[in-house]
Amino acid sequence: MSAKIELAEVDKRFAGGVEAVQALSIAIEPGQFVSLLGPSGCGKSTVLRLVAGLERPTAGQVRVDGLAVGTREAAISYVFQDPTLMPWASAEDNVALPLRIKRIARAPAREQARQALAGVGLADRARALPAQLSGGMKMRVSIARALITRPDALLLDEPFAALDEITRHRLNDELLALWAEQGPTALFVTHSVFEAVYLSQRVLVMSGQPGRLVADLTVDLPYPRAAVLRLQPQFLQHCRRVTDALERDRLPAGAGRP
Amino acid sequence: MPEPIDARALRRPCAIALIAATLLLAPLARAADPVVFATNWKAQAAHGGFYQALVDGSYARYGLDVTIRQGGPQVNNRPLLPAGRIDFLMTGNLLHAFDNLKNGVPTLQVAAIFQKDPQALIAHPGQGYERFERMKDAPLVLVAKDAQFTWWQWLKVTQGFRDEQLKPYTFNLGPFLANPRAVQQGYSIAEPIYVRREGGFEPVVHLLADHGFDTYSTLIEARAETVRNRPDLVQRFVDASILGWYGYLYGDRHAANAAMLRDNPEISVDELEASVALMRSQGIVDSSDALRLGIGTMNATRIRHFFRSMVQAGLYSPGQIDPDQVATLQFVNKGVGLDVKRRLTEKR
Amino acid sequence: MTRWRAAVLVPAAAGLAALAAWEALVRLRGIPPYILPAPSLILRTLWDNLDSLLVSWLYTIKITFGALLLALAGGVVLAAAFALSRTLELALFPFAIALQVTPIVAIAPLILIYVDSTTASLLICAFIVAFFPVLSNTLIGLRSADPNLQDLLTLYGATRWQRLRWLLAPSALPYLIAGLKISGGLALIGAVVAEFAAGAAGRETGLASRILEASFRTEIPKMYAALTLVALTGVAIYLASNALSRALLGRWHPSERL
Repeated sequence: MSAKIELAEVDKRFAGGVEAVQALSIAIEPGQFVSLLGPSGCGKSTVLRLVAGLERPTAGQVRVDGLAVGTREAAISYVFQDPTLMPWASAEDNVALPLRIKRIARAPAREQARQALAGVGLADRARALPAQLSGGMKMRVSIARALITRPDALLLDEPFAALDEITRHRLNDELLALWAEQGPTALFVTHSVFEAVYLSQRVLVMSGQPGRLVADLTVDLPYPRAAVLRLQPQFLQHCRRVTDALERDRLPAGAGRP
Repeated sequence: MPEPIDARALRRPCAIALIAATLLLAPLARAADPVVFATNWKAQAAHGGFYQALVDGSYARYGLDVTIRQGGPQVNNRPLLPAGRIDFLMTGNLLHAFDNLKNGVPTLQVAAIFQKDPQALIAHPGQGYERFERMKDAPLVLVAKDAQFTWWQWLKVTQGFRDEQLKPYTFNLGPFLANPRAVQQGYSIAEPIYVRREGGFEPVVHLLADHGFDTYSTLIEARAETVRNRPDLVQRFVDASILGWYGYLYGDRHAANAAMLRDNPEISVDELEASVALMRSQGIVDSSDALRLGIGTMNATRIRHFFRSMVQAGLYSPGQIDPDQVATLQFVNKGVGLDVKRRLTEKR
Repeated sequence: MTRWRAAVLVPAAAGLAALAAWEALVRLRGIPPYILPAPSLILRTLWDNLDSLLVSWLYTIKITFGALLLALAGGVVLAAAFALSRTLELALFPFAIALQVTPIVAIAPLILIYVDSTTASLLICAFIVAFFPVLSNTLIGLRSADPNLQDLLTLYGATRWQRLRWLLAPSALPYLIAGLKISGGLALIGAVVAEFAAGAAGRETGLASRILEASFRTEIPKMYAALTLVALTGVAIYLASNALSRALLGRWHPSERL
């Protein structure tokens, strides 16, 4: 299942007076894969946290499936930049955590977790501890955990930023495959133009502090996407458009919305 | 042949020579032997004679520069003697002497100030403890740490007391005052005074000495090596202490009391005086043989007899030690101080 | 030489060397036993008095471990309560600190006045000495949970108890173990010191009474024999806590990596 994600004129000011986000309005249709792109400090992580309900907006409304965030059971999953695994638990117990919180018994939860791990190619590492896994493997475990509840909305905060390029490309494809399978609405934060274009149907470009939307670009490349796409001219054209949007925002004068 | 000397002409040079000699020799005369004497409790009337000897000049006259080192509830001065940290030690009863001999610790008792051990068990009046035999059925007997390992063992074997009754006496009258059925240890010349002051009643007192625990008490103990190599020092200390005791019991106690108050501010002059009165009425110090042979007297028969009763009580095995080896009689039984007593008591 | 073997052989060799030096010193200088007994004499005395010393040793061990268990239970429960309620923490923490700094030598006789059983009073005294490190460390541990994991649990709608069970408790475990290592030794010290200040004779007596008894009867070798048992107990506690730490944390915590 998938949910519609909306932000309506959202402001977020933090305690120190920092205005992370200003008058932000975003509407994401159910099942869309959207990237949120911008320079450091533009508030994109804040947007993600607002959608997840981990922050409350200072003004405006955040709605998931029409209801204000926090008023419905979390059908939202979150993948952090850090794999955020419990170091004392095995991979399968980490993946099973959301199910255990939902009071599913240990054996069936572990069984489901093992299946999820198989889905990310880690079936043989189910009993391993995070300390025994590589960075890429840990991130896969994190994604498996995020998807095990078959969420309506999948939020990812630069999950592959700390990985090497080869692993990153591989995980991009795995993520797309999993997304295609379950079909949640995906909101993917990144600072890599290439990644944003490769993964998503829409790229939302945000400006620097305070965070505002400066571009909403459609990427009309077909799914499923293959690695070879990265070398094709349409791909590069889209990347160019996104880059231009980013650059335009940096120019002091004559900066207009597309 | 010397010419006749004009005595008058010699007067001035003689005077000068005499003054010079005095000035030169005076430091020698003032060079007293430093002595450290450790007691077994905080300063109380039971130590009075020693403080008297200190303040009335007896120690000084005998060429001794004495420092009195208090004991106390958490303090055990006993190991300091064999270790050489102190010169003389106040010992509470002969069991300590027997233990030392048993363990090969080379010390000797050189004088016994108390002819009677004031160790007693006290109780609330009107609880049936007026008869000593009833005390062994008391639900609670408060005995302090060092006594637990000495005369409490004797009480268990010969008088039927049991460990189940025992609780540590931490020198706080609270538990005793709060429980009318409680029995606790005390010095017959001290605790009754405190109980009267804090509890407002006169406790029942049973002296252990009246029930077969007839040890000497407040003995002066010295290293065997000191007795062997410096008998003159020991004799002087013993004699001066004896004189101090006569002075304390029969003479002017003010200075000694003041000295004890300085060392132990928790006590009062009234309590000290009351304690002295009890010491005299109970015949603790100056009684039986002491009347004849002077304070500090000891005799081998009595020591042997006490050892035998302790063997019977199971504290020692027969022949485990030779009781004659714990004490030396060479420094006492000489009637030292009897003249002082006569003088002091005639004045009254 | 393997690390494990070194860990055993090196201290053992050092200990034996020290004992040999001690023995030599006593013999060469002819030091009498009531001043400084030789190790051989101490061992002989220990052997001769084994039955009575063993009984006392068991009693001291009983008090030590009883107090340690109480400290563990009390410290953990209080820490959890403080972690859940800041008001409670602000109200009660000063008492905990006051208890910690008041010398047990002063408290022990007082407790003996109010409490009837000697064993109970000794347990209370040893507990007072031992519980603070457990409380303090566990509280820090409970507060040191990974903030991302905290957010994750919020997202999944975990209750306070679930949060405690799945995140806070395992996060706090390394800190708790660290506190326990300290408290183990303190429980022993508390048991011995409390008995020094307030213990009884006859039944219900531990090593402290044996030491006192030997001291009052000028049986110096016996004092040393009893002290040796105290020292051995301390070492055993240290080794046991290390083993526990390895068992619980060995697989995943950095502190056990070495």
